[in-house]
Amino acid sequence: MKEFAVFWGCTIPARFPFIEKSVRVVLERMGLPWTECDGFTCCPEKSLINNIDHGLWVLTGARNIAIVDEQGLDLVSPCTGCISNLATIKGELHVDHRKKEEVNSMLKEVGRRFTGSAGLNHLVPFFHDKVGAFRIKGATKRDFRGMRFAIHYGCHMMRPYHALKNDDPLEPKKFDALIGWLGGESVNYMTKLTCCGQGLDRVDQHPTALQMARVKLRELNSLGVDAMVLCCPSCFLQFDNNQFLMEKDGESFGIPVLYFTDLLGLAMGCSPEELGLGQHRISVDGFLEKWERLNAARDTEKRLEEELKEEGAFI
Amino acid sequence: MIEEHLDFNLLRKCADCGACYNVCPSCLYIEGYDPRAVIKDILEGGFERWLHSEHIWQCLECHQCLELCFQHYGFENAMTTMRLLATKKGIHPAQVKRGWDMFIKTGRLGEPAMGQRKRLGLPEPRPSGKEEFLRLLAIYRERKAQEKKGGEAER
Repeated sequence: MKEFAVFWGCTIPARFPFIEKSVRVVLERMGLPWTECDGFTCCPEKSLINNIDHGLWVLTGARNIAIVDEQGLDLVSPCTGCISNLATIKGELHVDHRKKEEVNSMLKEVGRRFTGSAGLNHLVPFFHDKVGAFRIKGATKRDFRGMRFAIHYGCHMMRPYHALKNDDPLEPKKFDALIGWLGGESVNYMTKLTCCGQGLDRVDQHPTALQMARVKLRELNSLGVDAMVLCCPSCFLQFDNNQFLMEKDGESFGIPVLYFTDLLGLAMGCSPEELGLGQHRISVDGFLEKWERLNAARDTEKRLEEELKEEGAFI
Repeated sequence: MIEEHLDFNLLRKCADCGACYNVCPSCLYIEGYDPRAVIKDILEGGFERWLHSEHIWQCLECHQCLELCFQHYGFENAMTTMRLLATKKGIHPAQVKRGWDMFIKTGRLGEPAMGQRKRLGLPEPRPSGKEEFLRLLAIYRERKAQEKKGGEAER
């Protein structure tokens, strides 16, 4: 496997260091060839930067990509926004040589060069494609049989397709496959691919953002899933923090929100403390209790089976 | 000015089609949000009134419309252009300006939460590219100023 750098972005280190912890723990335990780079800036964020200055948006993204290009690394991000922005910028420069030259003439003055040789991917499709079922199943000690998950893909994990090319943009499958490899059930639901709506919180429209969060949370509440699982800090903000704010106002949904690496880490035998699960605003205790209960029941079953086998029972 | 940003031929087909209305999350869940009305006004030359509307900021840039669109165009191109024109006139939510200000000062939209990192036992974050970014920003601005001057001289 080619060595890759992790692009943390701004939101994870600033607002959710426990997500960074969860990702680090999993990458480390898996023994993957990962590294970090000096000198990254904001990816940059689309709705705030691209709407004001497209040229600067492209230039800043090209500079970030140039850092991994130079070192011959690939780039993987646990943030959907970052990877989508970087891939879109890379795609734009690949089809516009004049623009690419112009960007490189500016980057040259700070000693950098964009080639676009680095592969860019989001953590979830990366785990699906590059780490793969064999290695993932080999690394896990426990599974999630009997647990029902609502996957929230996060729009920018696989959109726009022309830039990311990592899954079907309108009917993605890879996150579902990963949950299946971990033994969990991915529940199909009507609003599964609907945007979280957190973007509205960035343009002073908090009540509308909550309205969007409600759409999904209400449906999941009625379906009775054990947890929502996602891999994007903005979506996490929307469903964990904003769900908590609504809960404080008396509107309760009770949907624990897990990061993809939280789930993988638990299956690999990491403790909830190690993964920072206590820092989620919506308590994950109920989820963990059910999981322990199911595991304990299965252990008893297994033990009984073995005892009976020893006694010569035909099973 | 708007013609620089939008392909009116594609947009005309957009106005006739409107298939993405049924997959757009904002159309589905935000009352009164309808890019078809914006596109109609762009084509008929009356788009200015939308620059002050909160609706142009309600496009979530989720790219659902782009992926569904047989022209690979979708509502989002029209909405992005409206936001671009609005910000050029200085009309935007205060939060957008705050984000922009922080970005051009620090190269980031948030600084690592050091206290929390320490408690979690996380290592020191790698140094950011702030200094280099600020130099690059100065170079970029200088180029733009030169281009503008060149353009004016030509005229």
